[in-house]
This record gives sequence, structure tokens and C-alpha cells, in this order.
Amino acid sequence: MADAVIGTLILLALWQGLAFALQDRFLIAGPAQVLGWSIANAGLIGRALVVTGSNAALGFLAGNLAAIGLAALALVVPRLIPMISGLALVVFCLPMVATGPILRVMMGPGNGPQIVLAALAVYYTTLIPLLAGLRAAPASWLDLIHVYGRGRWAELRHIRLRAALPYLAAGLQIAAPAAFLGAMVGEFTGAERGMGVLTIRFTRALDIPAIWSLAAIAALVAIAAYALIGGIARRILHEPPPVILAPPPGGPTQRGWMQALAVLIAVLALWWAGMRLAGLSPFFAKRPSDVLAALAWAPDAAQTRGTLATALAQTARHVLPGYCAGLALGAGLAVLLGLVPRLSAVLTPLAVALRSIPIVTTAPLIVLLAGRGAAGTVLLVAVMVFFPTFVACQHGLRQAPGRILDVFDSYAASRLRKLIHVGIPAMLPALFAAARISVPAAVLAVTVVEWLATGGGIGGLMSLSASVSDYDMLWSAVVLVTLMSWLGHAVISAAERRVLATHAPEQVRP
Amino acid sequence: MAAEAGIACAGLHKAFGEVEAVRDFSAHFASAQTTALVGPSGCGKSTLLRLIAGLDMPDRGTVAIDGQPPERLRERGAISVAFQDPSLLPWLTAARNVALARKLARQPADPALVARLLQMVGLGQFAQSRPATLSGGMRQRAAIARALVTGPGVLLLDEPFGAVDELTRRQLAQDLPPLWHEMGATTLLVTHSVSEAVLLSDRVLVLSPRPAQIVADIDVPLPHPRSPALPDTPAFHRIEAQIRAALSHALDAA
Ligand SMILES: Nc1ncnc2c1ncn2[C@@H]1O[C@H](COP(=O)(O)OP(=O)(O)OP(=O)(O)O)[C@@H](O)[C@H]1O
Ligand SMILES: [Mg+2]
Repeated sequence: MADAVIGTLILLALWQGLAFALQDRFLIAGPAQVLGWSIANAGLIGRALVVTGSNAALGFLAGNLAAIGLAALALVVPRLIPMISGLALVVFCLPMVATGPILRVMMGPGNGPQIVLAALAVYYTTLIPLLAGLRAAPASWLDLIHVYGRGRWAELRHIRLRAALPYLAAGLQIAAPAAFLGAMVGEFTGAERGMGVLTIRFTRALDIPAIWSLAAIAALVAIAAYALIGGIARRILHEPPPVILAPPPGGPTQRGWMQALAVLIAVLALWWAGMRLAGLSPFFAKRPSDVLAALAWAPDAAQTRGTLATALAQTARHVLPGYCAGLALGAGLAVLLGLVPRLSAVLTPLAVALRSIPIVTTAPLIVLLAGRGAAGTVLLVAVMVFFPTFVACQHGLRQAPGRILDVFDSYAASRLRKLIHVGIPAMLPALFAAARISVPAAVLAVTVVEWLATGGGIGGLMSLSASVSDYDMLWSAVVLVTLMSWLGHAVISAAERRVLATHAPEQVRP
Repeated sequence: MAAEAGIACAGLHKAFGEVEAVRDFSAHFASAQTTALVGPSGCGKSTLLRLIAGLDMPDRGTVAIDGQPPERLRERGAISVAFQDPSLLPWLTAARNVALARKLARQPADPALVARLLQMVGLGQFAQSRPATLSGGMRQRAAIARALVTGPGVLLLDEPFGAVDELTRRQLAQDLPPLWHEMGATTLLVTHSVSEAVLLSDRVLVLSPRPAQIVADIDVPLPHPRSPALPDTPAFHRIEAQIRAALSHALDAA
């Protein structure tokens, strides 16, 4: 606790110092200025917070209920697990920047899109740990049930449900800030009130103190929600929270490909049926066949493909370096701090808190600082990837089995040696899990910056298409971006399986 | 087959892939007797207990308990196993872990019995502690209490004192057998300690290295209850020496 306070004070001091040093460039509002602005505009912020907060809360509720429902279904019909997690992943890969405007035209004015986006932002990060948690019980606990001749119900009631609770808590904890982020992105699509609306307004006006204050308040709210859920969980549960290492989904085996194909067919069928049943106008609610036509045989298909390819290439140039830098920095810093435990005690609580900041809402800040060019976008993607990676890797390093470390200690091995032989292998699963989940996060980050700030790349193209009602282009972009995210995720899963098979075989379940 | 009292194993085989853990194991364990199984590490003792409890299915052969398959007894909550790894549920206190066994066996709650057993295994002070705060040996003792709380007809103990210190181990060896005798439990006890095997049991089976086969079947004709002075008597030493000889013979043969 004391360490966390020290860390926070250091951060505030750095921030204030930087603001002071750069004060004549009008880029940074320091903590004092932020506090002043926030007090002066308390009413405005309060009203916006209530709107965004209640939308986020509704989305949080809906998304998590959906996750729990899907997990329950998976529990009853285990054969559905690959389909459920496959569909869930596809939906999670949908770029909010495009689904936002599409939801807006479908649902009209009001809070619908905000709530839906908040729900979409949370359900996946709850579902995956929950699925892992429900399967996490060691075989010996289940044997205990079987010794007394009891079956699946007793397993569920006495072991699985309870064993899954810490996983649920860990999921909900990440979900709280994510819901806030989802609600804000929903507001970017043309809501009337809320933190997202204020963010857009003050960004356009280049009101520096306001931008910094909004980002700081969004961060505070997210951290508070994260801490609150963590606190409640610690009170109710008695065991430490689990590391969330969802095993990678099925491999590139015959069955893996069949499953992927089944998921693809299900996605297309659900998409088509959803549009049909909702009776939405084909003008903005495109069907799979419309997208295929737009990309393949419409008169302007070649032009559409060219535009999309250019935009995707531009985005790739930002997202790939940012993603790799974020991973490398996160893992690198975790390893470095593993060598200096004192520093780690100060920085870790801070990083855990910063991870819960809806980074995307600070997009205007980062662009202010790094400019509208590539640097700002790359930086934002890197930051978005950095925090979860750092936190996961630290957690992984601490997972190094105590007994093995004792063996090394008995030979008076140096810290570096222990790190190389015990720590890093123990960290790998966490690094991969972070790399996997960071793919959609990086895409979200890059598209939001392009949309809000730089106007380039696929995010810029999507926002332009939405504003000129070019729904063929918008839907095609959604399909391509989703496909790219999904492929990125699949590539990392494949690498993950190969590495874990040798370094952490217990993590790869059959 | 006539309903035979006790546990009858006939021609048990169990392999895990290429690894044969149990080969052609046949034995009869008389009702209400305590039999110790000793054998080298990895020879298949735990596997044998799991087969007898019906937790794993043998590839070939049968297990009959009082003429019935193990499932039948499990459904009545008449089997208890203290696993090698104590496998207490981390979110329950020691007392609740013990009480859970009665619930699973569909028996009425009996807090007094739970308290008495915890007292007896030396955990009276720790009834309200969670497993994470107990030592390895304390957890094992809680697991023994849990195995006893249902008053089972068949009691399978897999190295129950593995992590318990010598002094406590002696105390438990004094206190526990009268309990399972009183319940009339047919008890199988896996142990690595030859003297413990003699002290606690009526009969000792010495097993060969994997796959487990019986290499010696040694009676322990010493009266119950066994006094703390017993390990110092010539009779005790003689049986001990017999078991040691069989064990080293089995190891040499392998
Ligand atoms: N679930 C399993 N899967 C694969 N192999 C197994 C499994 N359980 C046991 N074995 C193998 O069967 C053999 C016997 O194991 P078992 O646990 O029965 O030995 P043990 O006699 O209890 O050893 P110890 O005294 O060390 O506890 C070992 O070679 C082990 O590797
Ligand atoms: Mg064993």
C-alpha cells in the first residue's frame, strides 16, 4: 500500500514537472491545472459522468450476464465450447469504430449503441476466464466427489462453481474499465451527452486543460472501478486471484480447421439471419452477399478493393511496430524489474492501476504530445499493448514455482541465472496470453486514433464511409478488419502452442 | 461368485499408454482387517488403490467388495480415500472440509464428530483455519479426519503420514487404528515406512517394482491395541526384518 502511494506520488511529480518544463508549448496541463479545471467544471463533468457511468453499468451488466449465460451453456453442452469461444472471438474482433456508427443508424439516437458497445467490450474478457475457471478444478478435488459416488451435479455445486469464482472476479475486474471505454466510444458516434461527447468537443477546440482533465477523470473512474471490484472479490474469496491464462484455442489440426470453418459458417448464418429477422433496411444493414458483391463483382469492386488495401497497408505500418514495441517493452520491463525487486514493489501497483485506464480515451492527449503523424499512432498502440503485457508478465514471473527457486537458491545462483532458467520460462505463457488478447486491443487503439485524430488508415476510411453513408465500404472494412484481427490471433495461438508444448506443457490442455 | 466378505481383486491389469502400472494383481483383503502395502516408489500402489475405489477402471480383471462392484459401495458413501496429496478445498476451513465428506456421502451433519476427529489428529486449534495456512503435515491430518468422518466400510489410506513428523506419526499410529477398528473398516494403507506398516497392520503385502505384483505376503500376528513399546520387541523386529528382506529381494530381482 505504502509502495503504491509512493508510486502515485512519483507519477504526479513527474507529470507536474513535465507540465512545468513544457509550459510555453501549451501541450500539457499538470495535475494542479487539471484539479482547477475539474473543480471549476464540476457540474458539467458530474452530469457527463452520470450519463456515461450508467450506460457503462448497463453494458457491464448485460455483457457479463451474456458471458455467464454462454459459460453456463458451455458447461451443460461441453461440445459447444469451441463454437462458443470461436463466435465470441469473432464478435470481440469487430472494430468498435465501425460497429459504433452502424449501431447508431440501426438504433437511432439515445443510449443504445453506448450500452451495446460497453457490453461488447466486456463479455469476452469475462467469458474466457470463466470457461477456464469452470475447468480449472484439479482432478484430485473431483476424485473426492467421485469417491462418495456423486456425479456431475455435485461436482458443479461443490467444486466447479466455487472454483470458477476467482476467475469470474478477475474477469469482472478487467471488465469494469472496459465497459467505461465501450460507453465512451459509443458516445463518439453522435450521442448528445457524456464523457465521450465532451472529449470530442474539447479535442476539436484544442482546449488543453479540458482534454487532460477528462482523460484524468476517465482514468480515475476506471481505476476506482477496478479497485472496487478487486476489493469486493478479496473480501468474499479467500484465495488469491488466479493468473488468467486461457489456453490457446484448438490447434491447426484437421479438427482445428474444421472448427474454424464451422465458426465461419455460423458467423455468416447468424449475420444473415440477424439482418433478416430484424427487418433492417438493406441500405445500411448489409448482408454477407452484399459485402461479397462489393468486393468481388460490383462495377466498382476493383476500386473498393484498392481503397481498402491502401488504407489497410497504412494502418499496418502503424499497428505492427506499435504492437511489437508494446510487447517488447512490457516483457522487457517486467524482466528488468525482476532483477530489481525494490523498484518493482513501487512500480507494479502503479502499472496495475494504469492498465485499467481506458487508454483509447487518452488518444487526443497522445496525439497532442506526439503529433498527428505516425509517431503518435504508433505510441498509442504501444501503450495500449504495453500495460496488459507488463502486468501479465510480472504475474507470470512471480508464478515461478517456489520449490524450484529454492533449488537454485541452494546453489546460491544469481538473480540473473534464476531469471533465465526459471523466471522467463514461467513467464512465457503469460506473455503469449497477453500477446493474443492484445491483437484486438491494438486494432481498437489504432482505429480509434485514426478516427478521432489522424483521419488516415482503415479507421479514417471507416469514419469517412460512415459519414458519407457508403455502407458497402463500411461493412467491407468491418469484415476485413475482423478477419485480420482473427488471423493475427490465430497466428499467435499457433506460435503459442508450439512454444508452450516444450516450455509449459501443463498449460496446454488436450 | 459367492458374496465374499472383504475386498477381492482378481487379475487386475492397468496400463497408462505404454506404462504398465499393475499387472495380474490378485488378492483378497479380509473384512475389518488392516493391510499395509509397501513397495518402491512408482510401483503402482496409488493406482491399485484407485482401482479398488473404482476411481479408475482396470483394463482387465475385477474388484468386488463384499461381492459387489465398488460403485455400489461408493453410492452408499461406504468408501473413503485419503489421497496422497491431501486435496482439501482451499475455500473451506479444516472443519468444513471434514464436514463436506458427510454431506457428499449423504449423511446427516455431525459437528461433534468433526470436532472430535480434528482433536484426535491434533488440529483442535485449527478447525477454523483454511488449508493455505496449514502445514503439509497438518493438511494430511485433516484429510485423514475427512476420510474417517463418514465411518466408512472401506478405508484407503495413501501414505497418510508422508509429511507428518516422527513424533506426531507415533501419536497418530496410537490413536487412529482403534477408530477404524471400532468402525469395522477394511483398511488398506500404503506406506514407505516398514515399521509403520508393522505397527499399524494385521498383514503386509510387499510389492515388486512397476508393474506391481505381490512378492511377499507377511502376517503380523501381534495383538491390538498395540502399545508404544511394541517397536522395541523382538517379535516386531523379526517381522520388520522379514519385510526388509523381501523388499530388497524384489529390488534386486528387477
Ligand atoms: N494418470 C496417469 N497417467 C499416466 N501414468 C500414470 C498415471 N498414474 C500413474 N501413472 C504411472 O503409473 C506408475 C505407477 O504410479 P503410482 O502413482 O501408482 O505409483 P506409486 O506406487 O503410488 O508411487 P509412489 O510411492 O511414488 O506414490 C508410474 O510409473 C506412473 O508414472
Ligand atoms: Mg502413490
